[in-house]
Amino acid sequence: MRDIWIVAENPAWAATLVSAAKSLDADCAITAFVKGDEAAAKDAVTYGAASAFALPLPAAGLWEDYAPTLAEKAKTDKPAFILVSASRRGRDLAARTAALLEAPCFSDAAQLALSGNAFSCGTSVFGGTAVRTSSTSAPVVIVTLGAKSYEPAAADASRSGAVATLPYSAGAAKVTERKPRVKQSVNLPEAAKVVGVGRGFSEEKDIAAARELAAAIGAEVGCSRPIAEFFKWMPEECYIGISGQILKPQLYVAVGISGQAQHTFGVRDAKVIVSINKDEECLMHQNADYYIVGTWQDAIPAIVKAAKG
Amino acid sequence: MKKIAVCYKWVLSDTDIRVDEKTRSLNMEKCKYQVNEYDRNGLECGVQIKKASGRELVGITLGKDTASSAKDALSRGLDSVFYLDDAALADIDKIGAAKALAGMIKKVGDVDVVICSEASSDDFAQQTGPRIAALLGWPSVSYATKVEVNGDSFTLERKLDDGIECVSVAAPLVITISPEVGEAPIPGVKDILGAKKKPANALAIGDTGLSADALKPASAIVSVLAPETSRKRQRMNPDGVSLDQAAAALVKELSQAGIL
Ligand SMILES: Cc1cc2nc3c(=O)[nH]c(=O)nc-3n(C[C@H](O)[C@H](O)[C@H](O)COP(=O)(O)OP(=O)(O)OC[C@H]3O[C@@H](n4cnc5c(N)ncnc54)[C@H](O)[C@@H]3O)c2cc1C
Repeated sequence: MRDIWIVAENPAWAATLVSAAKSLDADCAITAFVKGDEAAAKDAVTYGAASAFALPLPAAGLWEDYAPTLAEKAKTDKPAFILVSASRRGRDLAARTAALLEAPCFSDAAQLALSGNAFSCGTSVFGGTAVRTSSTSAPVVIVTLGAKSYEPAAADASRSGAVATLPYSAGAAKVTERKPRVKQSVNLPEAAKVVGVGRGFSEEKDIAAARELAAAIGAEVGCSRPIAEFFKWMPEECYIGISGQILKPQLYVAVGISGQAQHTFGVRDAKVIVSINKDEECLMHQNADYYIVGTWQDAIPAIVKAAKG
Repeated sequence: MKKIAVCYKWVLSDTDIRVDEKTRSLNMEKCKYQVNEYDRNGLECGVQIKKASGRELVGITLGKDTASSAKDALSRGLDSVFYLDDAALADIDKIGAAKALAGMIKKVGDVDVVICSEASSDDFAQQTGPRIAALLGWPSVSYATKVEVNGDSFTLERKLDDGIECVSVAAPLVITISPEVGEAPIPGVKDILGAKKKPANALAIGDTGLSADALKPASAIVSVLAPETSRKRQRMNPDGVSLDQAAAALVKELSQAGIL
């Protein structure tokens, strides 16, 4: 029986990581480390962890500074795997823990598999152009996993296990202030249908046309990175891709988006992809189920009319 | 004088990758090496820290063909470059790269600020900065979007999933920047000409205090393949089909699939 650790930014992610751990070894004993209080740690037990530690966010310290404590504990407990939520704090903590343990760490991995002691998984390379499959027999392997990488384990309130708070030893960096993220009105990851706006839109006011299309088909509006990052026409939370939002909608309609790998990575799990682009040869068409070669100025009114029809 | 070390990766650009439709393998023949895009923001961040604090600014890189990276990197505001270009590093992994970079930083000497960028465009692993910090035993501030320096004191902002964290910390430290920290200017003719006069120093594996054996990867690459796509790639407006007809057919398809 293997010991597998999971380290989660929040209880929901812990549910996902429990599933990942069980997929590697159905009989594994899971120790959970969850950011938050002991109630949050207890949630991980209801998902199937044998025991759990709370890692409260220190008022004036970095949460990732739990890394040395975790690494020391791992040296004695010798978990075979440490599965970590691929949140920003999680990634930092995973990398630091990996360095301290001289362990391989696979970032945002998929297709985790174990055959004997040989572990393998896939990671995206070249902006999502390809998947690199790696294998290792290292004694401890660290993997970071996305929030939707596995179907979350179901809670069972009757499960019990020890719950405690992990000691924290503060590092040199001091947190002087935390400004919570302003909640956006759009919640792209939960949207069933998404229209994506790209640089095919040359003026901010033109986005109204994309919004009209979205309204006609009941979709939210997202965008490619340049629209949010360079032009700042839409909030950063709206950009889709490897360094932005990773979505799993029923429908994604890319309008005026060239389809670079970094962008399409964010919608590769969409059920259906539609592309509207004037360039017949564009990559987005290659990555679509249905495409229209034409300008959005011509195509959007036609689709709106048909959808309302 | 204290030094700022900016780590940059010499990566193959992904814009000219060709995918073989049948085998899904990648043809990289047309791809050229370049300074990883995010690292250009890291280099610029180093330039700003140098301006504000009077430190010396060195670039650090390792891997295949990195000798030829020096000129490009030096045109981006560095005072000098240290590179480790050895065929033995061809398949170095994240463990080895961080160990070797930490060893190079120690070899350069007097470094009290290390700058990495969030990720490289090829692997996007987001590990190197925090790994180096752990190995050096220095504080790690990752996902930094704002960096201010006053002598040895740093005030930073980092962007996390749930908001902004403001951090204050004294050097030595490792800063891992996000590209929002500031745009990287494109080097001008003067910068490119000036780069030729600046020192590019070759280091050997032995200079890192490690053996080639200690840098052997802990994992093996089984394959690198483009993902299988099962997309239909159906053009709705082939010749002779109007946009109105195409739109109607599209809406019909989506309705039948239960999506609209
Ligand atoms: C490390 C790294 C990470 C990145 N991460 C992301 C990411 O997470 N998300 C992301 O989106 N990008 C990301 N990028 C950027 C990415 O590589 C592309 O540059 C970006 O996605 C391009 O955006 P675009 O398709 O909107 O613009 P462009 O590539 O400029 O494409 C515009 C398209 O619009 C079409 N067009 C023009 N006019 C019209 C018209 N009137 N009607 C219809 N079509 C028209 C053109 O034919 C063209 O195909 C990343 C890049 C790097 C290096």
